[in-house]
Amino acid sequence: MRRGAALFLTAALVTVSAVPAAAYLKLGTKVGTRTVTLKWSQLPIRYFITDRGTTGVTSTQLQQTVQSAFSTWEAVPTAQISSQFVGTTLANPSSGDGATVIGFQNRPDLERTLGATSFLIDTTSGAIVESDIFFNTAFPWSVAAQGETGMFDLQSIALHEIGHLHGLAHSAMGETELRAGGRRVIAAESVMFPIAFSAGTILGRTLRADDIAGIGDIYPNSTYTRGTGSISGKITKSGKGVLGAHIVAFDMRTQKLVGGFSLTDDGSFVIAGVEPGPHVLRVEPLDDGDIESFFDATLNIDVDFRTQFYDKIVVVPKAGGTSGVELKVVAK
Amino acid sequence: MIRRTTVIRVLRVACCAVAAGGILPARAAAQIYLGHDIPHRGSLEISGGAIGSGGYDLGSLSAEETRNTGTGTGPFVLFSTSSRTDASAGLQGRFGVYLAKSLSVEGGALVGRPRISTRLTGDAESAPDLTATETLTRLVVDGSVLFHLAGASFGGGNGVPFVSGGAGYLRDAHEKNEVIETGHEFRVGGGLHYWLGQGKHRFGMRADAGVSWRTGGADSAETYRTVPTAAGSIAYLF
Repeated sequence: MRRGAALFLTAALVTVSAVPAAAYLKLGTKVGTRTVTLKWSQLPIRYFITDRGTTGVTSTQLQQTVQSAFSTWEAVPTAQISSQFVGTTLANPSSGDGATVIGFQNRPDLERTLGATSFLIDTTSGAIVESDIFFNTAFPWSVAAQGETGMFDLQSIALHEIGHLHGLAHSAMGETELRAGGRRVIAAESVMFPIAFSAGTILGRTLRADDIAGIGDIYPNSTYTRGTGSISGKITKSGKGVLGAHIVAFDMRTQKLVGGFSLTDDGSFVIAGVEPGPHVLRVEPLDDGDIESFFDATLNIDVDFRTQFYDKIVVVPKAGGTSGVELKVVAK
Repeated sequence: MIRRTTVIRVLRVACCAVAAGGILPARAAAQIYLGHDIPHRGSLEISGGAIGSGGYDLGSLSAEETRNTGTGTGPFVLFSTSSRTDASAGLQGRFGVYLAKSLSVEGGALVGRPRISTRLTGDAESAPDLTATETLTRLVVDGSVLFHLAGASFGGGNGVPFVSGGAGYLRDAHEKNEVIETGHEFRVGGGLHYWLGQGKHRFGMRADAGVSWRTGGADSAETYRTVPTAAGSIAYLF
């Protein structure tokens, strides 16, 4: 979900409660005692577009923009995904009828939400059965090639929501500042960062390394399995695991940034889909967004530690993993 | 009469002295190097010892995020890195064949454990500066041509300088040996053999100094790094 006003983007998981499954984040759900990744088991993803436009955007432009956003995700060379536009519909995007619907909806009650994605899932397998996306017409929208001052770029927000639709949760690869009315993005390096760039920009139309690693992790193809690697280890503080620490891997050759989280009580983390080669690691508390934008509110996320670097260069092998990283953090 | 004879004798003595002075030094040099049959075409030399390589910069990078409009100019720098390969020591072994008295070719291998250091600074959220490191296992296999400067020998011909040039294959294994990266190098230099004795089989000492231009391996930049090297070895000629 993307929120406006203070311009937040948060995932609205209306149909089921989802919990993070792994790095970037991926969406997950509990099946018995296990957490499984939410993903589509049947491809292509067949979707409908609502037959309604909004001020400045016709339904045809909406359909073209959504299709373009799907194509951007499908162009990721390390992921095997596909989609199919089925047709237009008069149904609302959140109908729970088994059909995936994407469209505009007037939700003035969600005064900081630009768009949201909801799911219907098979709770025995984690397979996504339906996913609906709405874009809030309480905000001004644009599909202009270069963006329009004061208007939100539909393609950027569609790219973010379609990332959710595929099973990605929010990334913490960004920096914010607190201002009156909420947080403002200073910078971000992931389409899946929960807070949108300012109105008028089209910066959010381009997938970043973090997004690409994430989608490849959920829908890996042979290029992913043969050509990327992983980094795993744990984050500890005073000998105990840290839950919810954000770890950033910086590729010292490509200058790409891929992030992940420690997702278990012992502080374990895995960052997969990383390009081979030397990386430096940095760990930080989750302090650039509402924790609820990333994690289930019931989880005890630890943000009481200082940002720091890892003192080893981590070399990621192709089609393999570097394990045993232990990053010891200290309380603030 | 008497006076004329005396003059002639003096001149003869002077001529002999000049002749001896012109011949003897040349004869001495030929005895040690050019005049002996060692080394000759087909002579072999093996050597082994220690080598030191100078450190070199690997460049600086920034971890950047895309800046939102209205929050400043240029990319947002999350932190910066500055990397270098530290100076290191290693072991080398060489095997050479003389193609002529003053010309030989040789192949060799060098094994070292250079350390890569990356200085992490300027963190946007004030993470303390830190140096992250990694130790490589580096193997260089090379071939060289040596030209022995017999005319510049000294120490009764035991010390013989040489100049050399060659090229090599570089193989870097990162820690845990899970990632191997290769490259190559070109090298020029010079050195000195000092043979202990003048027999057909002789031990000696060898010193090398030079400059290598390396690319590839753990260093991904598509450029050549200039690396000074110096080595000391024990050599055996037979």
